[in-house]
Amino acid sequence: MVYLGIILGSLLGAIIGVNAPVISYTYSSYLAIAVIAALDSVFGGISSVLKKNFDLKIFLSGFFCNAILSMLLTYLGEKLNVDIYLAAIVVFVGRMFTNLTIIRRYYVDKWSDKIQKKEKNNQALESK
Amino acid sequence: MDKKKVALALGIMSAILTYGICVQIKTINSTNSSYSTSSTVNSLRDEVLRYKERYDNKYEELEKAEEELEKERESTTGNNDELTKLEEQIKEGNKLLGLTEVTGEGVIVTLKDSTSPTLNSVIDTSQLVVHDMDVLSVINELKNAGAEAISINDQRLVSTSAIVCDGNVIQINGQKVGAPFEIKAIGLSEQLAALSRPGGYLSVLQEYGIGTEIVKSKNVTIPKYAGSINYKYVKSK
Repeated sequence: MVYLGIILGSLLGAIIGVNAPVISYTYSSYLAIAVIAALDSVFGGISSVLKKNFDLKIFLSGFFCNAILSMLLTYLGEKLNVDIYLAAIVVFVGRMFTNLTIIRRYYVDKWSDKIQKKEKNNQALESK
Repeated sequence: MDKKKVALALGIMSAILTYGICVQIKTINSTNSSYSTSSTVNSLRDEVLRYKERYDNKYEELEKAEEELEKERESTTGNNDELTKLEEQIKEGNKLLGLTEVTGEGVIVTLKDSTSPTLNSVIDTSQLVVHDMDVLSVINELKNAGAEAISINDQRLVSTSAIVCDGNVIQINGQKVGAPFEIKAIGLSEQLAALSRPGGYLSVLQEYGIGTEIVKSKNVTIPKYAGSINYKYVKSK
């Protein structure tokens, strides 16, 4: 269900995005950082769904706060001539890997549980 | 938590995500340059793009205004014989000046930079490219053969046109024009096609390995001169 939503959303976004007008080159770095923030939010959302503590308010506020803060950092960095947006990218990507680990562990555990159950069943059948 | 809501929220988020990625890719592709972190470079580039857009918009406006003027003229001169004659004279004058799009029998000459280096060009690579002088010589021969209207890559040649070298491109009418050059000329096509005769300038270019092509056509269309001709110092006596 959740993955279906993500796939449908991605397709919809891609269709709109392909037909959308090009933005000004100056703002492309802001859009890039917003894209990274959105990617981080999606990963975070999936992992919280798996941990069963997904909260819509936290999810949405997290995305907007992250995106706005990182854009402000980008702006500040441009003014100070320091690439501060790199810090935001490091944090986002680091969190993405953490969340990926959680997602991976969840599915690997599920899978190995399944295999163990099957083996137990087989053993039970053999002993009979 | 309702599962539908979760799926919807994540779906919308991923829609925003892919939308952003698509727009970003398109933006980067359209500017076709490596990413620059310097804001001054970016803003300068932006300014250039904005000026270009403004120029295009103004040009469109100008064309619209010209069309309106034409209509206005037609409507006012429609029922007056004398004015119609004058109008025809203006049209004739514009045709001679190169201010109208013209069509007719002629040739299309294409000059391409050389792709196969010859022995000499290994030493001097500038022999591989089409120079302003080459274009000028071809134009000269075409004029000598009786060409009535000539354009190079859609730049109409008028009495004030100059063909000058501008780095790796050439400048015609103040506009940068790059290879391959498509030279259109209206005139008696048999005469114009004599450009490819042995010993003509095209054969000289061919010796340097420059790709030349000449096509006779019954229907060559040459665009009008995009600039305006203003004489400030010339006074009629």
